[in-house]
Amino acid sequence: MALVEVRKVTKTFKKGEHEITPLREVGLEVEQGDFVSLMGSSGSGKSTLLNLIAGIDRPTAGEVWVNGQDITKLSRTQLAHWRAANAGYVFQTHNLIPVLTAWENVEMPLLLLPLSAAERRKRVGIALEAVGLSDRADHYPRQLSGGQEQRVGIARAIVANPTVVVADEPTGDLDAETTEQILQLLVRLNRELKTTLLMVTHDPHAASVAHRRLRLEKGQLVEAMAC
Amino acid sequence: MLKFAPYIMKSLWRHRARTVLTVSGTAVALFVFAFIGAAERGLADMTRGQQAERTLIVFQANRFCPSTSRLPQDYEVTIRKVPGVADVLPMQVYVNNCRASLDLVLFHGLPAERLPAWRELRLLQGNRDEFDTRSDAALVGEAVARRRGLKPGQRFTIGDITVTVVGTFAAATPAEENVLYTHLEFLQRARGNRLNEATLFEVRLQDAAEPEQVARSIDELFREDRVPTDTRPKGVFQASVVGDLIELIGWANYLGYACLGLVLSLVATTAVMAVQDRVREHAVLQAIGFSSPRIFGMVLSEGILICLVGGMLGVGTALMVLWWSQLAVGTEGVTIALGPSWWLLFQGLAISLLIGVLAGITPAWRAATAEIVTALRAE
Repeated sequence: MALVEVRKVTKTFKKGEHEITPLREVGLEVEQGDFVSLMGSSGSGKSTLLNLIAGIDRPTAGEVWVNGQDITKLSRTQLAHWRAANAGYVFQTHNLIPVLTAWENVEMPLLLLPLSAAERRKRVGIALEAVGLSDRADHYPRQLSGGQEQRVGIARAIVANPTVVVADEPTGDLDAETTEQILQLLVRLNRELKTTLLMVTHDPHAASVAHRRLRLEKGQLVEAMAC
Repeated sequence: MLKFAPYIMKSLWRHRARTVLTVSGTAVALFVFAFIGAAERGLADMTRGQQAERTLIVFQANRFCPSTSRLPQDYEVTIRKVPGVADVLPMQVYVNNCRASLDLVLFHGLPAERLPAWRELRLLQGNRDEFDTRSDAALVGEAVARRRGLKPGQRFTIGDITVTVVGTFAAATPAEENVLYTHLEFLQRARGNRLNEATLFEVRLQDAAEPEQVARSIDELFREDRVPTDTRPKGVFQASVVGDLIELIGWANYLGYACLGLVLSLVATTAVMAVQDRVREHAVLQAIGFSSPRIFGMVLSEGILICLVGGMLGVGTALMVLWWSQLAVGTEGVTIALGPSWWLLFQGLAISLLIGVLAGITPAWRAATAEIVTALRAE
């Protein structure tokens, strides 16, 4: 069984009087250690699919299995506990807690797990080192550049050693040079830590660093051609 | 939840001006509430309890201020014979001001040798024996002593009365600590050589006696005598004397409740603003694994913390002022002590906690139940 299995997932939204169905009976399998990129036009449902896999949204129909568990059957609170242990989320930008230092931001997900203070310290140290920001641990988000903020966000997403890490346009707000640094960081994490990664992007270049490139078109997933 | 304390504290500190203003507003309101609570408690202490119900006060009929009540001292012998009476204490009362006052000085003159049997006093300073042997001696209640800066050995004059302070005492009830005890005869002489007159009689009842019935019997005895009497249980007597003050305190209670309403609205506004400011932040926390109950608890904690800090500041300051000033509001020789108490502290903190919960519950619920995806899109 694949690590992530999306089975006949449909998602319907109400927008005013209209009903929108960005995902229609979508199926997807992601193996352990895969790096998958998802592309598609705006409103194609790629972020919606990512949110369903990360357990922060629920499908209208269908199932999402992660590591042998159907997460669509979990209650709201159970799903929160599942996210804490199994899902890492990298946001587009500006999603660090502004009143916390880089270290404290990265530590937040660990506070939800039964870990000792010493274990937390060790894991945060490793995560910050992995993203090359050990020397910025005491800095607040406002004292970091956009790229550094995003690296802290990545450290926060991987610190609990989750089953799957999802990234929603992680380079969407960054300049070309910083984008390259973040992409190389994601590649390295996938290669060295065997982190399973799903990344939504508009950018064909960003998508090209993944092992698999998928496109969402008219509510359906199709394999994208290599650049 | 303690693990999240740094985040909660830093979140409050993020909008420090707003937090400080809310805490200050809470403190001021709880300060007023504690003061009103102290007056209410002083009143309750005065009108309730064994002594208030099982001790009668015999006063001259149709008189209010102690200086106008003049009962023949030989009434004591007659009162002793009334069925149900266990003991009788003649007392001369002198008060520096018959009107409502915050600095009432109240002299109680009674037979020195009978003081231990009638009053449970704990000597704090001075010499109890000197009180028995010295005719102008005065034992001074702790509240008056602190308010007036009196110490053993000092001479103290008020109006045409000068006494020598031989000791200070603490008593079972705070109102008692606003009294200066002197010899009965000393006070009688000082007030114009009225050696055969007493302001009032305190009557202690036998266990089985019915207070109302004994009171009626006493008044019946003196109805046609030289001076008719008005006898009532001590609590009822004191409550009737300070009737106007009771009404004022009753009105002040509404002011206290209004203060609590103000705090509720103040803290609720702050909590709502704090949640509105952080819709996206709470969504991020939920996305990384924070459950709805945990978000609920964290937001609620912020409201509770503001209220508790404000409550501690306000109630704590009020208690310190009450302790330091030993205030007593009184009229016509009866005082209501405004003293600090553990109960006031407990009540103030419990109310702060309750207001914190009430103020934070709706914003916390909104933060906890927000849809993550929708909230992540919020600006």
